[in-house]
Amino acid sequence: MKKFISTFMILILALSVTACAAGNSAGTAQSPEQAADTGLSSSAAMQVTYPVTLNDQAGRQVVIEKEPETLVSGYYISTSLLLALNCQDRMTGIEAKAKNRPVYRLSAPSIIDLPSVGSAKEFDLEGCAALNPDLVILPVRLKDVFPTLEELGITVLAVNPENQQLLEEAALLIGTATNTLPAADSLFQSAKDSLAQLEEALKDTKKPAVYLSGNSSFLSTAGSNMYQSNLITQAGGINAAAELTDNYWSEISYEQLLAWNPDYIIAASDASYTVDSILNDPNLAQCKAVKNGNVYQLPNGIESWDSPVPGSFLGSLWLASILHPDEYPDIQWKEAAAAFYETFYRFTPDLENLYDRS
Amino acid sequence: MDKNIRVKKYLLSAFLLILAGTVLSLFTGKYPLASALLGGEDPQAVKVFLALRLPRTCMALLGGFGLGTAGYVYQMVFHNPLASPDIIGVSSGASAGAAFGILFLSAGAFPVTAASFLGGLTAVALTLALTRLAPGTGQGTIVLAGIAVHSLAQTLLMILKLTADPERELASIEYWIMGSLNAVSLYRLPFTAVLCLFCLAGIFLLRRQVLLLSVDQEEGRMLGVAVEKIRFLVLLLATLLTAAIISLTGLISFIGLIAPHTARLLTKDNSFPTLFLGGLLGSFLLLSADLLARSVTAGELPVSIFTSLLGVPFLLYLMLKRN
Repeated sequence: MKKFISTFMILILALSVTACAAGNSAGTAQSPEQAADTGLSSSAAMQVTYPVTLNDQAGRQVVIEKEPETLVSGYYISTSLLLALNCQDRMTGIEAKAKNRPVYRLSAPSIIDLPSVGSAKEFDLEGCAALNPDLVILPVRLKDVFPTLEELGITVLAVNPENQQLLEEAALLIGTATNTLPAADSLFQSAKDSLAQLEEALKDTKKPAVYLSGNSSFLSTAGSNMYQSNLITQAGGINAAAELTDNYWSEISYEQLLAWNPDYIIAASDASYTVDSILNDPNLAQCKAVKNGNVYQLPNGIESWDSPVPGSFLGSLWLASILHPDEYPDIQWKEAAAAFYETFYRFTPDLENLYDRS
Repeated sequence: MDKNIRVKKYLLSAFLLILAGTVLSLFTGKYPLASALLGGEDPQAVKVFLALRLPRTCMALLGGFGLGTAGYVYQMVFHNPLASPDIIGVSSGASAGAAFGILFLSAGAFPVTAASFLGGLTAVALTLALTRLAPGTGQGTIVLAGIAVHSLAQTLLMILKLTADPERELASIEYWIMGSLNAVSLYRLPFTAVLCLFCLAGIFLLRRQVLLLSVDQEEGRMLGVAVEKIRFLVLLLATLLTAAIISLTGLISFIGLIAPHTARLLTKDNSFPTLFLGGLLGSFLLLSADLLARSVTAGELPVSIFTSLLGVPFLLYLMLKRN
């Protein structure tokens, strides 16, 4: 019965996740809500029984024969998920440039020195094969290397955490694959609670216009269809660039920025320019945000909260404390951030130094 | 029809087209200027017009004219209809310089412009030095040296791109290479404008010698042209002109190639009016391309897309008509 409940519950947890313990059929009259209720209240039911079949985010069926003991992650978001799921000790390989991610250094310094399997740009097939891991987690965009790895007998799980929903699905996939479902399930609960609390605190406030400038230039921005736009709306702001509907960062002109005339300019976490370069740009001197000194950069001292990592809700909380300091004081997001990283990443963040100067 | 009258007609038409384009360009853009300027209630509108809209239009006119003229000069000097600033490495040098600036200096506009300008000049200096070292003085040597420097700069660019962060720097480098007049503003225009005008004045003063360079080298010498010196000087001016423009705008493709050819197909000769017409056509092409680049979508598009899209069909039309 236990096996059966776990099987069904996983089916419910995410649309793209199906788990079929061998010899079990999942067709019953039980409603999904009931299953979810009973399942979530008992962590024992969250034990995964192997072999387990998953539908990964590339639409592939992946059979995981036994609980993987060695893991390789080829993408920083899946690595961040593995840390949150307390799987760092099982990792034997990591994506390139791991040393540039402060959260690794803070949470699990040992993984930084693991062998690199390259990046989404240049994946190191041989290096990955040499590690002979039980499971490799890769972004969907590396789909060209999946068949080769499979031919080498390596199990590949593809994830595509491009927005919050896909990230949560990816967490459940990885949680099922690595038998860490309880953590995967609770990972987003504190985010949901904090965001609900924030919404309540901001319900009667006026919403300022916020311009989010991208990493490559402050004349690139995220339109309303982009994940990053949620960061602004959740923080009680209006995306000044909402009329843009591109799915990637759009280039705009000074004129456009002046025409939007935002109340705040927020630079992306990994901006290649400084806040001062915006404040000192003579072309923007007349912009409301610049005139009032309301130009800030999203913190990057722990993680880039403008990318879909589990801690990204903290970007919204931080921004809310900038936009609405009276309704949502500083201390609130700091408490949420400390609790989040202590629970899931096992370290106490230094919230007085929010920027990585290295 | 008398040839002179026909050429004058072309020049006049080009002027009128440019005038219409300029007016359109001044009143098209993201900031709602037309109503604000007429109503006169928005002090910000005047600033936007003077600091951004006007400089951008001026840069389109001047940049297009400069690229068209420089292209003409290159084609004459090298006796090669395909010659362009890339033949002696200036574009690829400027690209590598810009990439270097983006990676190691700062993504700010000024350091990138400076790095790209220096990159372009370094590439050309290297080409000319190599030419000096090699025995013989034919244009073959300079073209060969140019190809070597061009490949070297491309390799350097590739290495720089490889080390770039794909989310940030690589995107900036790619955007720079596609070209845009988005970076032009009142604060950035003067240096480029002064340099362009200086080079253009030089080329126009030397226009007779440029025309003579296009004839046989021996013949030129007999006609009293110090061929090597003049060639060096004219190339330097055309290169400086190109480097000044593209260091501010990024690479703008095809104008240097298409504008002079179009002018020649119209006038059917290599004369001073053709040189001038080539410049005017370059201005019109860049003006129109920029107009489209900033108004087709809500965002900014690379200008090179439109210089090719607009220029190529027109060139093809003239080519087919001639046959």
